[in-house]
Amino acid sequence: MSKTILVNNFIKNVRTAGAEVLFSPGEAAVSTDRWPGLLDFSKADLRLQYQTLENSEQWTDIAHALFCSRLGVAENGAVWLEDADMPHRILPFITRHLILRLATDSLVADMHEAYAKLGQDNFGFGVFISGPSKTADIEQSLVYGAHGAKELTVLLCD
Amino acid sequence: MSQHSKKARRFLADAKRAAWHDETLWMVRCKRDRAAEAVDDWENLRGQASDIKEKALENIPQYIRQFKEAARQNGAIVMEASNHVMLQGYVATILRSNGALRVVKSKSMLTEECGLNEYLIEQGFTIIDTDLGECIMQLRREPPSHIVLPAIHLRKEEIGETFHKHLGTEAGASDPTYLAQAARKYLREQFLSAQAAITGVNFAVAETGTIVVCTNEGNADMGVHAAPIQIHCMSIEKIIPAMADLGVFTRLLARSATGQAVTAYTSHYRTPKPDGKMYIIIVDNGRSERLYHPTGRSTLKCIRCGACMNTCPVYRRSGGHSYGQVIPGPIGSAIAPFRDFRTAAGLPFACSLCESCSNICPVRINLHEQLYYWRQEMNSYRSTPILRKLIMKTAALVLAKPLYYRLAGSLGRFFLRYFPFMLKLPLRAWTRGRKLPRPERQTFRQWYARNASKHTS
Ligand code: SF4
Repeated sequence: MSKTILVNNFIKNVRTAGAEVLFSPGEAAVSTDRWPGLLDFSKADLRLQYQTLENSEQWTDIAHALFCSRLGVAENGAVWLEDADMPHRILPFITRHLILRLATDSLVADMHEAYAKLGQDNFGFGVFISGPSKTADIEQSLVYGAHGAKELTVLLCD
Repeated sequence: MSQHSKKARRFLADAKRAAWHDETLWMVRCKRDRAAEAVDDWENLRGQASDIKEKALENIPQYIRQFKEAARQNGAIVMEASNHVMLQGYVATILRSNGALRVVKSKSMLTEECGLNEYLIEQGFTIIDTDLGECIMQLRREPPSHIVLPAIHLRKEEIGETFHKHLGTEAGASDPTYLAQAARKYLREQFLSAQAAITGVNFAVAETGTIVVCTNEGNADMGVHAAPIQIHCMSIEKIIPAMADLGVFTRLLARSATGQAVTAYTSHYRTPKPDGKMYIIIVDNGRSERLYHPTGRSTLKCIRCGACMNTCPVYRRSGGHSYGQVIPGPIGSAIAPFRDFRTAAGLPFACSLCESCSNICPVRINLHEQLYYWRQEMNSYRSTPILRKLIMKTAALVLAKPLYYRLAGSLGRFFLRYFPFMLKLPLRAWTRGRKLPRPERQTFRQWYARNASKHTS
């Protein structure tokens, strides 16, 4: 599959899953103007501060949190995160708005390739995230943000 | 009349709700079709999934052993419960020994089957179901009516009332977004104050000791990562050999269940969190027995996608509660006789043998053949009504002799035309929901005799 098709499929499926896709020309696009109070967990010093869950307010008030991923799946718009990408496992779930940064080179076609790429890696916790948290438990009406992130942005960079 | 028919009649009494239920599940089924058609090698995938499950079941003791070893290496504590009483006991012991009183739980049909909630509540624990659908059902003290869509039988007004009563939402409010937000707020408090989280398991990977849980809401993860103690309850058949097999199942599961390409979250739990404890309880509860039964084994391939329910014409028109089982629908009816032959008696007959379930099942369980098998088993225990047996015997006789057949045909047409009420009386149960047809003036034979010459060239 050519790279263009791969990227286009991925974008289409991320959108179908209810998330937005932005193209990031490097760090510049990520700004606290756009997302006030943004926590950028690609930065090592910030990761150190958020390792333990002590005071729950500190956690429930998180509005925008950004993580870097090394794997995205074109067929379903899923993005992979694992222990190494986050200081605490609850962060990608508890933030109101989740931002996932991903290079187009990290895309694979489908779940077979995704698991092949993960191979024998010994991650303690890992998750594929496709779109924001959702539920249709009330009369099959789709509602975003059942428990996890209400909004999801995928930042694609080259 | 069977228990299923009686309960189905109650469900059908509210004609508007019943029609909505039918249409909504059909809509879910159509979404599944579109999702399946978008995958090139869908049939091939179903075949692979079936093969992997067969292989896993064939070698289940070996895979369980491998899984236990790997999970222990990862730092998890693994226990084995041969029945529901042991599961209840283990969970209560784990909670007590860790001083955990408040527990959140994500969806698990296994713990439903084992009556875990009821037991823990009786023992003084607080246990909160966190899947929105299950939370609604728990507040209403009702069992779920569908394995993927637990509250599919309810209208939003009813949910609004439940939330008004228990969560203090505005009276009369029924907007799904408003209600879901209220639940989010209530459940967040539960997540952050819970001392332990219990989850079900979608897949358990023998090779790596990994537990995989798929949710759309993220409730399993909110629970597991916030609480110091995580407990994963799995039945033995959740075992799959290798991580690579997940490629097959994650592609099939959500597409079959809701028509999504994948669930919002596919979570892989391998090691406990820092300072946390991870328990895995492997439950048998009658499954080993099914493993060596001619139809039972393949029921263990089920990945609980719910597709057979959405597609089943009987399920859609009778509602999950009419089955009186933890798992309703075609797969529920195929499992029920193992759980209690007597209470399952009517279920294999709640089926039109249309085969839709077998054709849709992502792991290719021959559901309709199983239901057919159980009908015969049950007939040999004389649980079929005498009248139905008599009708079948007569039919066999009439169909075997052309003369009788012709005679019966003209008699039938005569009564249908001039005395339809006479046919309606003995067939009361049948004609309640159906109209008798107007008979044609001529039989097919007569028509054929007249027209055959015209059409042969
Ligand atoms: S029997 Fe097949 S279709 Fe039904 S729930 Fe199980 S896997 Fe899905």
